[in-house]
Amino acid sequence: MDLDTLLSFNWGIMAPEFTILIVGVLLTVIDLFGPTSVKKNIPKLGLVGVILAFILLVPQYGHDQVSILHDTYLFTPFAYYFKFILLIGAMLIFLMILSNESNKEITDRSEYIYLLLSALLGAMMMASSGDLITLFVGLELLSLSSYIMVGLRKKSLRANEGAMKYVINGSIATAFTLFGMSYIYGVSGSTNLVDISREMSASLGTAEPVATIGFIMMFIGLSFKISTVPFHMWTPDVYEGASTPVTAFLSVISKTAGFVIIMNIFFTIFTGNGEANTSLYDSMLLFIAVLAILSMLVGNLIALRQRNMKRMLAYSSIGHAGYMLIPLTSISQLSVENVWFYLFAYSFMTIGAFMVIYLLEQQKKSEDISIFTGLYQTSPVLAVCMTIFLISLAGIPGTAGFIGKFNIFVGAILAEPSLYILAAVMALGTIISYLYYFNILVQMFIRPPQLEGKVSVRVAESIPLIACVAGTIILGIFPFLALNFFQ
Amino acid sequence: MPMQPYLIVALILFCIGLFGALTKRNTIIVLICIELMLNAVNLNLIAFSKYGANANISGQVFSLFTITVAAAEVAVGMAILIALYRNKRNVNIDKMNTLKD
Repeated sequence: MDLDTLLSFNWGIMAPEFTILIVGVLLTVIDLFGPTSVKKNIPKLGLVGVILAFILLVPQYGHDQVSILHDTYLFTPFAYYFKFILLIGAMLIFLMILSNESNKEITDRSEYIYLLLSALLGAMMMASSGDLITLFVGLELLSLSSYIMVGLRKKSLRANEGAMKYVINGSIATAFTLFGMSYIYGVSGSTNLVDISREMSASLGTAEPVATIGFIMMFIGLSFKISTVPFHMWTPDVYEGASTPVTAFLSVISKTAGFVIIMNIFFTIFTGNGEANTSLYDSMLLFIAVLAILSMLVGNLIALRQRNMKRMLAYSSIGHAGYMLIPLTSISQLSVENVWFYLFAYSFMTIGAFMVIYLLEQQKKSEDISIFTGLYQTSPVLAVCMTIFLISLAGIPGTAGFIGKFNIFVGAILAEPSLYILAAVMALGTIISYLYYFNILVQMFIRPPQLEGKVSVRVAESIPLIACVAGTIILGIFPFLALNFFQ
Repeated sequence: MPMQPYLIVALILFCIGLFGALTKRNTIIVLICIELMLNAVNLNLIAFSKYGANANISGQVFSLFTITVAAAEVAVGMAILIALYRNKRNVNIDKMNTLKD
């Protein structure tokens, strides 16, 4: 390849990725060699980088499809919409990190920032890549950065242990994904998703079982990332061990990225050139449906007996992953839209809930549910914010979570053939989830506070809260703003 | 068909690795077993890229990426294990039970 071909690509379309990459590298260098006065501002510079990437991403709305270097980078509307969520989620998490100026537990605070940026870069590459090799590199960039972020509280035994469990589980998942990918490469003779799709649309003959095994193993590996039952074992331990902003990151960005790579691979391969190879996908449908049912039931049921707030939200996030698997049992534009909206709503309400926990955890030095006892008397504002996030997570009308659940529910009933069982289990899971969400409300509003004294909220801490409350309510009352944006 | 022995060896390696990773007590052995699983993948990729239905070079390129990433993964794993060892003085997996329901 000569220089002219290299320059002929539309590199401008990669501007958001390049911004994140350059800011990440710059911050690493500053952290190594820069003066202390600049080092203090690394979190702020990180936030500026993410905002800049977001500003560069927004004008690409409605841009034609662009392919760079034989589809290793592919700009599609799909990639655009999901990068939108990833960047908004990253901005909220940066605000969350910035709200706490002196973190005594994490001494290497700037490492946190550029690891977060590199993880974000990996997630964005997963959204816009059309080749198994680059998808795998993006996935590993995200995974490796998050392993380190979980273990960043070096002195804390729980953080070490959570990180170790995450590394072992994540590496086994990687091996599964790769093993599946190697079979798919063997059957199709290509790593390009569009080429694979063309090979798969013809009859495979004797190679068909191999392809099915390949797809199922790849799905198993990737479902570790979205933490569905039975591949969820790491989730509560890692969420509890990590510091709260990292937990929010794993719960929102890592999970979004997991769904993005699953939809990117499976939807491109099975609908890539018009005629879907339905027989292959049909052999996976039952598998996905069983995973969805198990996740919804197990996640919500085990959450009932959790007293640690981060563990409770971990199990609730397993339940939410189950809801989001339902649209994947049918391939259509509508299912992408439903998952997209749910993830968008989910990022606001989850980051908001973790933000409230983060605030209370710093002041009360505990993660037990008792931190919420009598919160309405000690800090009415915080109690109202938490109520909004919880009723949104539970799916009460007027909030973003309701619209997301409603779309998925209706989508499941309107699908051909109707997925009544999945819809019924989803309703059941939602009802179970009311119990533990409302238990927190009871703690906040009815129980008297154990200790006297107000819980104060500083300005820096109120910014992410306001953003999350606004997102949750606006998406709940005017969902068409987002749904029209997603054409 | 000369490809099958390679695939069978890879499958056996993968299963041995998975078995070891799920049953061994020492974390170092678990990490080695994970390497075994990843190397099974490399064997697969190279067999397909040499003898596959439409043989081409991308399998070998893929295996280079796999080797690199696997090395990085083990480096991170070892670093975390050392941090854990400093706090706990133990590398056995069944002793990692601080976090549980």
